[in-house]
Amino acid sequence: MAEKTDLRELLKPYSDKWVALSEDSSKVVGVGDTPKKALEQASSRSEKNPILTRVPEHYGTYIL
Amino acid sequence: MTIHLKIDYRKFPAEPSEAFPRRRSASRPVVPVSLINKNKIVRHYSLIDSGADLCIFHGGLGEEIDLKVKSGKKLTFFGIGGTGGTQLTAYFHDIEMEIGGWKFPCYAGFSYDLDIPYGVLGQVGFFNLFRVQFDYGKQRIELWSKDQN
Repeated sequence: MAEKTDLRELLKPYSDKWVALSEDSSKVVGVGDTPKKALEQASSRSEKNPILTRVPEHYGTYIL
Repeated sequence: MTIHLKIDYRKFPAEPSEAFPRRRSASRPVVPVSLINKNKIVRHYSLIDSGADLCIFHGGLGEEIDLKVKSGKKLTFFGIGGTGGTQLTAYFHDIEMEIGGWKFPCYAGFSYDLDIPYGVLGQVGFFNLFRVQFDYGKQRIELWSKDQN
């Protein structure tokens, strides 16, 4: 399954939220303030292998 | 047997700044990783970070795989998350990780203090198991599992 790798437009609307993406990262299947809430929404949509990520309030620059 | 994986960089939104006024996106070596505890699995985007000593994930993900996060072995650390110089806390547990179909044991930390969008794949738990090649030009990461014998 080809995975979507450009997540810019998909994630932009979800500032400061946890987001569950579909298995191929092509769409948002759950959103919440916690991983649990995002996964519950994904589960209610019968999404089998969602991928979680957190969208920060501001996407900054990381020097880790 | 050596496992060889090819994974593309992910592009995330980025905000322009005085130093980089045209910046609208950031390409990062972020890969989907499954965190596994017995029959519980959660998938999460994680950053391959050669500057990190260990593998760390958000505490809420530990809860999703039924870990009693704060019952783990405690570590205080500096660096990612929070503001510079802030001391952060993680709790370590034995779990399994899976990347690209390859599953391996990992002693991973879970922290409620992480302030970055990704899990972190560091030296112990990830780089000790994989040889890693970053090719920013091709936007490609290649991983080779190391012989564990």
